[in-house]
Amino acid sequence: MTIRTTPPAPSTGSTLSVQQVTLRAGTRTLLDRFTHTFYPGEVWCIAGPNGAGKTTLISTLAGLLQPAAGHVELDGLRVAAWPPVSLAQRRALMPQSVHDAFSASVLEIVMLNRFPHLAGWGWERPGDRAAAHAALDLLGLADFASRDVLSLSGGERQRVALAAVLCQDAPLLLLDEPLSHLDLHYQIDCLEALTAWAAERKRTVVFSCHDLNLARRFATHGLLLDGAGGAFAGPVRDVLTPALASRAFGYPLILLQDGGHEALIPAPRSPDVQQGTAGPVP
Amino acid sequence: MLINRKRGTTPATQDYEPAYFCNIPRRKACPASGSQQLCRGARSRGAARMSRIFARTMPVMHARRAAAIWCVLAILALAVLMASLALGSVPLTPARVFAALMPLSSHSGAPADLAGEIVRSLRLPRALAGFACGALLAVAGALLQVLLRNPLAEPYVLGVSGGAASFALFAMMAGSAWWLVDASAFAGAFVSILLVLGLARRELWRGEPQDTSPRLLLTGAVIAAGWGALITLLLTLAPDNRLRGMLFWLTGDLNGGGLPWIALAALVVVLVAILPAAPQLNVLLRGDAAAQALGVPVMSLRLRVYLVASLAAAAAVTTGGTIGFVGLVVPHTLRLAFGNDQRMLLPAAALGGGVAVMGADLVARTVIAPAQLPVGVITALIGVPVFLWMLLRRPR
Repeated sequence: MTIRTTPPAPSTGSTLSVQQVTLRAGTRTLLDRFTHTFYPGEVWCIAGPNGAGKTTLISTLAGLLQPAAGHVELDGLRVAAWPPVSLAQRRALMPQSVHDAFSASVLEIVMLNRFPHLAGWGWERPGDRAAAHAALDLLGLADFASRDVLSLSGGERQRVALAAVLCQDAPLLLLDEPLSHLDLHYQIDCLEALTAWAAERKRTVVFSCHDLNLARRFATHGLLLDGAGGAFAGPVRDVLTPALASRAFGYPLILLQDGGHEALIPAPRSPDVQQGTAGPVP
Repeated sequence: MLINRKRGTTPATQDYEPAYFCNIPRRKACPASGSQQLCRGARSRGAARMSRIFARTMPVMHARRAAAIWCVLAILALAVLMASLALGSVPLTPARVFAALMPLSSHSGAPADLAGEIVRSLRLPRALAGFACGALLAVAGALLQVLLRNPLAEPYVLGVSGGAASFALFAMMAGSAWWLVDASAFAGAFVSILLVLGLARRELWRGEPQDTSPRLLLTGAVIAAGWGALITLLLTLAPDNRLRGMLFWLTGDLNGGGLPWIALAALVVVLVAILPAAPQLNVLLRGDAAAQALGVPVMSLRLRVYLVASLAAAAAVTTGGTIGFVGLVVPHTLRLAFGNDQRMLLPAAALGGGVAVMGADLVARTVIAPAQLPVGVITALIGVPVFLWMLLRRPR
């Protein structure tokens, strides 16, 4: 039915490399000739202001969007040249929002992500069911397996979507805003599960996130987009710095340090800022 | 606390800038933690109760369970088929029906021969035509509900039936033979399909996959509305002596003695063309981006679903007129009973739709015998309350 090339063994990590990629939205250049490589075992956070191109970049990395210039390679082969099913065995994408129109159990929804692994008539085998249960367990969703997806809250739906991409069992995970709608403790639980999952078999995780402090705490690397063509990539604490983040977000941020803890917070507005003069220097 | 938390999360979903709140919960957690745990406890108890309810109603589909569902529906179909062959103005015993179906029985005595004639040349073609129409309509409805990701979609929503009806009514107005009416219906359906294909090409076969289903739905709905206006115009212009036949055609009627074989052949083509894609359709329901990322060729699949569903609707309308509600109600009933797995649902819809129309036609031609009702009246009379009941009983 579907032609499959023999993919590398699932245990090996995937290397995703971006070559001279330019992204545009209308006349705006979001990213200008960006070249970068994501290596196995790294957890990347993509940060940037609204409309900076985080979703566009993630879709491009996944091979769903063709960049305006340049190309993306997975394991040395352009993503456009991969057979779709083999590609889906190597990289999983969690889109920003999924709307379900029909009732289905959470387990069935999660198991849909086993699609690239199905064979024959397309029915799941016990291994697929076990992978789905394992992914639900990993995110503490074991009790949800038989719930109707339409009865879930926004945050629960988000965690189910995360479990779904985990059960796809791809060595490269691209997540678009996986933490949105989640309470703080679930954000931390999910990030802990993700980082452990990445470390376990040298997998790569790339996620976009608005919380710079969670990014600094859980990601190994950061990619900061300024929405005007520029991007800074590197170890997360070298990229999500007050100076770079203030420039990218267009609002002054300061780094508070207290013992071993640190937090990037927006600088308080001083009265002269409200009158339109210069704000505090980060 | 619960209210506070809900208020707190709603704006955060819209425009989330946690840099501003990130250290608030840490400070406020201690005084509130008791009530927070209470809330969470209540919620998880509720979840456990919910999960027990859903555990009973939503077991996971697998091949053996699907096969069991198909078997039950197939037995039901055979039972209704037997009833359709046995009941009517000349009631026959099952033994005589069987005898009539045997090829050798035609050489026995005269009364048996009459029974054989009734079964073979009147009841069997009509029952088979009903089965094929229902199956095609239910499969088309299930497919369009997936394609448009809209539970209210049905086989006629994209204008196929409107095109068929306009052309068929025109042929009837001109006093054409039945086969010309059928041919016109098919031609009209074809014109309507091409029209939607051309106008919604970006949603169906060109451009990048994006969740643009509303545009396709609106395009089809507007074309359907246009056909509707044309149908009204034709009805107002039609001579009185043809009006009754035209109304019967519009309601859906199997009395025309059309050919069941074309519809049955179309059913086979439709099932062969779409059943291998059932696992992909499951994934497509999650949205274009998610499906594309899972390795589903979204654009070609959408085009294939549209063409197959349109062919099914066109073949059904050509054979039985615009029989209503089967394409909407049968897939939903099966979904409510057995879940929304397309691998199970599509064959089950074929069997269930066949049973529904075959059964409705049996009622239509026996309830006020010797007079006959159009089958579409029965499907609508049963379909409307059933659908309303299903729609309203679901707590959302």
